[in-house]
Amino acid sequence: MQKYINQQNLNTLLDTLITQGIRVVAPRMNAGTPLYEPIAGANEMITDQLPRRSAKEAFFPVCEDIMTYEKEGQKVTVTDIDPARFPETLLFGVRPCDAAAIPVLDAVFSWDYKDEFFLERRRKTTIVGLACTAADDACFCTAVGLSPSDTKGSDLFLTPLEGGGYACESFSDKGEALIANNKELFTEPNNSKSLPLAEPHTEKFDLKKVKAWLDEHFEDPLWDGVAVRCVGCGACAFVCPACHCFDIVDEGTEKAGKRRKNWDACGFWKFTHHASGHNPRDGQPKRYRNRIMHKFKYYDDKFGQTLCTGCGRCVRVCPVGIDIAGIVEEISKK
Amino acid sequence: MTPIDTSIYAAITDAIQTEAGRILSEGQVTAVVGYAAARRKGSAQPIVISNPDDAQKLIFTAACVNNLAVYLTKAKKEIPKTGKIGIVVKGCDLKALSGLMGESQLKREDLYLIGVPCAGVLGSTVQPATELTTGTIAAKCTECDAHLPTGCDFVPNQTPITPELEQKYAVEIARLEALTPAERWAYWQEQFSKCIKCYACRQVCPFCFCEQCLCDRNKPQMVETTPRPAGNTAWHIVRAMHLAGRCAGCAECERVCPMDIPLNLLNRKMAKELKELYDHEASFEVLDKGPLTMFTDKDDQSFIK
Repeated sequence: MQKYINQQNLNTLLDTLITQGIRVVAPRMNAGTPLYEPIAGANEMITDQLPRRSAKEAFFPVCEDIMTYEKEGQKVTVTDIDPARFPETLLFGVRPCDAAAIPVLDAVFSWDYKDEFFLERRRKTTIVGLACTAADDACFCTAVGLSPSDTKGSDLFLTPLEGGGYACESFSDKGEALIANNKELFTEPNNSKSLPLAEPHTEKFDLKKVKAWLDEHFEDPLWDGVAVRCVGCGACAFVCPACHCFDIVDEGTEKAGKRRKNWDACGFWKFTHHASGHNPRDGQPKRYRNRIMHKFKYYDDKFGQTLCTGCGRCVRVCPVGIDIAGIVEEISKK
Repeated sequence: MTPIDTSIYAAITDAIQTEAGRILSEGQVTAVVGYAAARRKGSAQPIVISNPDDAQKLIFTAACVNNLAVYLTKAKKEIPKTGKIGIVVKGCDLKALSGLMGESQLKREDLYLIGVPCAGVLGSTVQPATELTTGTIAAKCTECDAHLPTGCDFVPNQTPITPELEQKYAVEIARLEALTPAERWAYWQEQFSKCIKCYACRQVCPFCFCEQCLCDRNKPQMVETTPRPAGNTAWHIVRAMHLAGRCAGCAECERVCPMDIPLNLLNRKMAKELKELYDHEASFEVLDKGPLTMFTDKDDQSFIK
């Protein structure tokens, strides 16, 4: 279904949903940093900046409780967190590079173990994508086969138009329902042209060729070369829309506490540190190799997809300028 | 925003290339740690070279923000610490090296220091192709007293032009000090709420060289590792306190924070306290003992009541 919505009606839509008790998550400023966070009103929303963290946290939060325990004398009470309590959510203003990562994550979170924390939020969330009008030279969505107007992952997709307002197109029942339930706010599509979209200028990677090289080069001098400068933080993984590793920790006292699920990163030395003291990935080159292998080989082997949407966040935040687009480009030329 | 003159950086680049090529080919050093251009326009990244032919890759520009001293610490095992190593240092980086020498982490005779006369570097390299101006310069550079490193083995013969700038940290610390404790707490709680525990601040810090950080321990857990308010606040307090009297002010923690938390404000506040209490500040001087690791009878004892 194709429709048009003007800015005023869009704001009304978001404000109405919030009034109805729907959690609306959209890009907003938090202490000077753009993030996808619940908004209290449409006036908080910003659409001109790529949030510093991806939209994955709408389904896979930085930290969440998964269980609580209490001990009184010999009696131990363990209480599960009930995913049914998760709120109905509208995830709004999602860039194509972020929206495209969500179906990629569906594959792993509904694979051998069904992660109800992720999946229940996913069921209850409608995703409204927004075509991208600003790219910088860290962006490379086009290099991994996506584009600034890619609708992958979006239930409803908005394209900003010259003269204001948005062209809307639905791609799922959830998208159709959003329009149908608020039909007075949407009008028939008009002939306005789209605003000029972003132009990430990186050439398209030959991902098959990259994978074929990775298949044969677990050991290669390339890894030492790119990772000698890696300082072993988790910034790249944490801002990534597709990285999904997590750690489980128990925190509390003898009497009461919580089991929590926190983001984890393969760049940390502790990530593969065994209880025995042995660490099979005993240096940053081995850890960085895993990052590239997981994104462009292992995930493809298992799920037939690439674990990178070219958002460029890791390139922008790396403390030491490690540039995944440059590395994959180098591999594709080998 | 007024442009800052960085025209000397081209000549400095030439001088670094020549010197690095010379010391490598003469066998004076086994490797040189410096900066090289990267793929994105105007960007620079750390590089370790051991072949004299690679010396031509070395550059110095306003995007050469990293404090390379971190690569010489024992926390960075990827850089072989055999033989003498050359390193390109700005004044702020040299203060960190001096601190590491004072803490017996490095020996001066194992280093060949290539000092850089520095007019300043960019505050953020999110968009590296940015002109250096009074608006884009790193906050640390507005308070710099170390534009010309001394005591190095080689310093290019250039003099940076360094205009007086509004001291960004001093202004911000004064603003925070004027708040009530409740307001200040609210300010930091809002900032720390963004923390995702990526530990970039720790990993780039030359003084965070512990082989196992206390904050990574889980048996027993010393600090809540979870990225939520209590754990985040605990981590940033531990970090600031552990660096008090040691921090050289390179502000790498703040530069690399992907969540823009103004971490160096905590370090500068500590530095201010250290200056007032013990007349200590980070410098090029190598001190056997830091201000918090010794006692003198001149120390303020008014807190004993």
